[in-house]
Amino acid sequence: MNTIVCLKQVPDTETLIKIAGTTIAAEGIKWVINPYDEFAVEEAIRQKEKMGAGAVTIVSLGPDRAIESIRTALAMGADNAVHINDSGFYDKADPYATAAVLAAAIKGLDFNAIFLGKQAIDDDSGQVPAMLGEMLGIPAVTQVIKFEVAADKSKATVTREIEGGHMVVEVPLPAVFSAQKGLNEPRYASLPGIMKAKKKPVDVKNAAGLGVSDGPMIVIKEMSLPPARQAGKIITGDDAKVKAAALAKALHEEVKII
Amino acid sequence: MHGPQGEITREVFWNILGPGFPTEQVLLYVIALTAFLLFFRGLYKGGFYTRLKLVMKATGTDVDRVNNPLQRFWFAMGDVFGHRKILREPYQGIFHLFIFYGFIALTITTAIVFLQADFIYPIWHVWFMKGGFYLGLKLFANTFGILAIIGILMALYRRYVIKPKWLDEKPEDTIILWFILAILVTGFIIEGLRMQAVEIGPESHMYPYIWYAFGGRIVAYLFSGMSDVSLRATHMVLWWIHVLMAFTFIVYIAYTKLLHIFMTPVNIFLRPDTAQPPIRLMPPEMFECAETFGIHNVEEYSWKDLFDQEACMRCGRCVEVCPAFNTDKPLMPRDVIQNIRTYLEDKAKFVLDADGNYHIVPDEEYTGPALIGDAIEKDTAWSCTTCMACVEACPSYILQFPKLIDLRRYMVMMESDFAPELQTVFKGMENNSNPWSIGAHTRADWAKEIGAPQLSEKGQAEYLFYVGCAGAFDDLNKRVAVALAKLFDAAGLDYAILGTEEGCCGDSAKKIGNEYVYQALAMANIETFKGYNVTKIIALCPHGYNTLKYDYKELGGNFEVYHYTEILDALIKEGKIKIKERISDLGTITYHDSCYLGRYNKVYDQPRDILQAICSTPMVEMASHHAKSFCCGAGGGRMWMEEHLGTRINQKRTEEALASGAKTVCSACPFCLTMISDGIKELGYEEKLQSFDIAELVVKAAGLD
Repeated sequence: MNTIVCLKQVPDTETLIKIAGTTIAAEGIKWVINPYDEFAVEEAIRQKEKMGAGAVTIVSLGPDRAIESIRTALAMGADNAVHINDSGFYDKADPYATAAVLAAAIKGLDFNAIFLGKQAIDDDSGQVPAMLGEMLGIPAVTQVIKFEVAADKSKATVTREIEGGHMVVEVPLPAVFSAQKGLNEPRYASLPGIMKAKKKPVDVKNAAGLGVSDGPMIVIKEMSLPPARQAGKIITGDDAKVKAAALAKALHEEVKII
Repeated sequence: MHGPQGEITREVFWNILGPGFPTEQVLLYVIALTAFLLFFRGLYKGGFYTRLKLVMKATGTDVDRVNNPLQRFWFAMGDVFGHRKILREPYQGIFHLFIFYGFIALTITTAIVFLQADFIYPIWHVWFMKGGFYLGLKLFANTFGILAIIGILMALYRRYVIKPKWLDEKPEDTIILWFILAILVTGFIIEGLRMQAVEIGPESHMYPYIWYAFGGRIVAYLFSGMSDVSLRATHMVLWWIHVLMAFTFIVYIAYTKLLHIFMTPVNIFLRPDTAQPPIRLMPPEMFECAETFGIHNVEEYSWKDLFDQEACMRCGRCVEVCPAFNTDKPLMPRDVIQNIRTYLEDKAKFVLDADGNYHIVPDEEYTGPALIGDAIEKDTAWSCTTCMACVEACPSYILQFPKLIDLRRYMVMMESDFAPELQTVFKGMENNSNPWSIGAHTRADWAKEIGAPQLSEKGQAEYLFYVGCAGAFDDLNKRVAVALAKLFDAAGLDYAILGTEEGCCGDSAKKIGNEYVYQALAMANIETFKGYNVTKIIALCPHGYNTLKYDYKELGGNFEVYHYTEILDALIKEGKIKIKERISDLGTITYHDSCYLGRYNKVYDQPRDILQAICSTPMVEMASHHAKSFCCGAGGGRMWMEEHLGTRINQKRTEEALASGAKTVCSACPFCLTMISDGIKELGYEEKLQSFDIAELVVKAAGLD
């Protein structure tokens, strides 16, 4: 089974984020594979291993630094990659533009399924899986936590996570699948995997070369950090009565909720 | 064979040689020759040669084992004849000493008799074994013979009555003891019989000297009523039995743990250099060209790793002290060694052809038992805390636990086969340079309030204060980092921290088996240190201390590294840290030795001296302390792994602390502090026991808190 995995490089969740205009300051950031995309990479590799044949192709839109995450995915066991290395396009790209350029890169490739994370943990749009399905004219199944493919690769039986429960659906292949946490436990790349990844082929492209000129329809106007959490306040007083009065006063005058 | 008549001596082969041609003597030579031939055949049949063949085919690199040969020789002699390590355990030590010297003394005596009767007399007709020399020899042989018997009885008592649970039990273990006892006892009996027949009685010129052979003399009392004919008949039968047993024993050496008689001294000679970390570095260039990492084929060990097995006599000292074994985990260091030894013979069936020639069998064609999984269980390899108690206890200087780290390396780097919780740890180290996966930018947050000087601002300082991940990220241990910074400030020490430029030392990564991540972390730190021309380092954590001190050297980082207890001890003694008021409200105090401070670096006194200086309450030692201290359970990366098997090591140590009668446990290691504090909470001992890092107490005693 041949699969495509779309992968985005995002800041590590523990990294200190600083705002720079309408984007974040790149300085000092540790970049990692979007954790949901990591589930997608793992699932694609597992499907390949289960079927005993096929190839996993990584497709990623991102600047130069994205190659590190692509190599990590290759180290995990993906076979080859397409790096749409176009920072001009990437910096401005909204979910639509991203889906368009990914679709252009995927078109013409031989695949049975496309895996990608249900959302990227940086901008949290969560639109690309559905748009990609639409643009490629194939179904998209979101929030996948279990994936099984028929022996003839004609269809897949997929469990989706829905509010308060699970839903099992069947879908003809090829199709797009977006990974939810719980789909699998991504592996830690072995050292031989890391060494081999250095020699695996990465096809470098750009948006213009792929014939995509869709500019962003969504423009970021402002970006801000959440307000710093304020320290708690301890109500003091001689006895419970005094404390209760002080609390009521604070809730009324300072927080203005009573 | 008569010596000079009327002299103070005895007739050799008395009652054995008939008149005329000495048929019996010739028969004895034949038996002796056969015994030696059978001994060598035993080396072959017993597997020694087979194992040795694989030892010679070992591909792993090892350090020079024969440098300073004289020094090595004298060290080995000191250990063998002085029983330095063996006497660490008094009971076993003493009985081994008795048997050992009994064995040597009787071998020397036998050799002298042999020399006299079979060489010097037949060739030169000279009889030197007479007079005072003869009497001295008698006394010598009798004394050591009796000591050997006492030793054997003590050993039998241990085997049958004391029966420690860590003792291995194979048939040979008791056979050997009964065998030696039988040889010794028959020796005394034939001496007694001969003395009763020819020396005891006023008519013998030897009668005044019979008490020199006091053992034989006492035994002779048993036979005082026997007729001369019976004495001679019994003597002749027992003499042959004694001789046959002695020679059978020689053959038996080749098949049993008795081989340690030869192998252990050799292994002590080849002992590891203490300045070298017990776990070898994987050469960095290896990561560019090697195809496999770590060890999964036994031949990938170094020759010395494999030779170690020959020197193991299964004494079990390593098992006795192993924290994993003592908490019912599937690890006994002795069995690791013994299993590798047996496995060498198993493997030989697949890699040696009928002519004994070695052939490399590729993994995909190999159908025999595996090293990882069959010879050594994976859980065994993962149970080790790298506390080094086994290495410290081993009288043969075998490196037991490093062999397990090689297996971890294979599992981790080749197969990504490790406890699932470790993935977060590795990623934390890779992405944020700490195992907690906390954002690297918060590494210096602990220092904000007290404004510890940073190298990036200060530019240069005499000491780099290397805080390490625990001091920087763990709430419990941030207190220690703050305490140390305050103390250094108060003492006027010229120091600085690296702040967010500091990285994880990599110790846990290395011991878990992820050498690749370890080296990346180590190289980053070394580069940063060199960038600031750092020469002296004070480490908060014994793990960082040990890693920076020894392991970084192998990667080109030569720094003068101290643990904070060494510095605080000196500062207190120099009066630079002034103790305002000695602490008196902690009850009896005990000190828990961190493995990486104690056994790894022999820092035993400084922490205790500090405690003596700052506390006015009495100090007690726990049941295990100093070199025999019991691990907290967090070393070897176990800090980051769930403890699913057996009972909890930290709880066992906490129980030990409570049993010592102490009210306060002090330690000088973040991992130990965490483990003991957790142990107190888990066991609900909050009312009975409390736990502190020494630095916290010093800051209090100095009135700086």
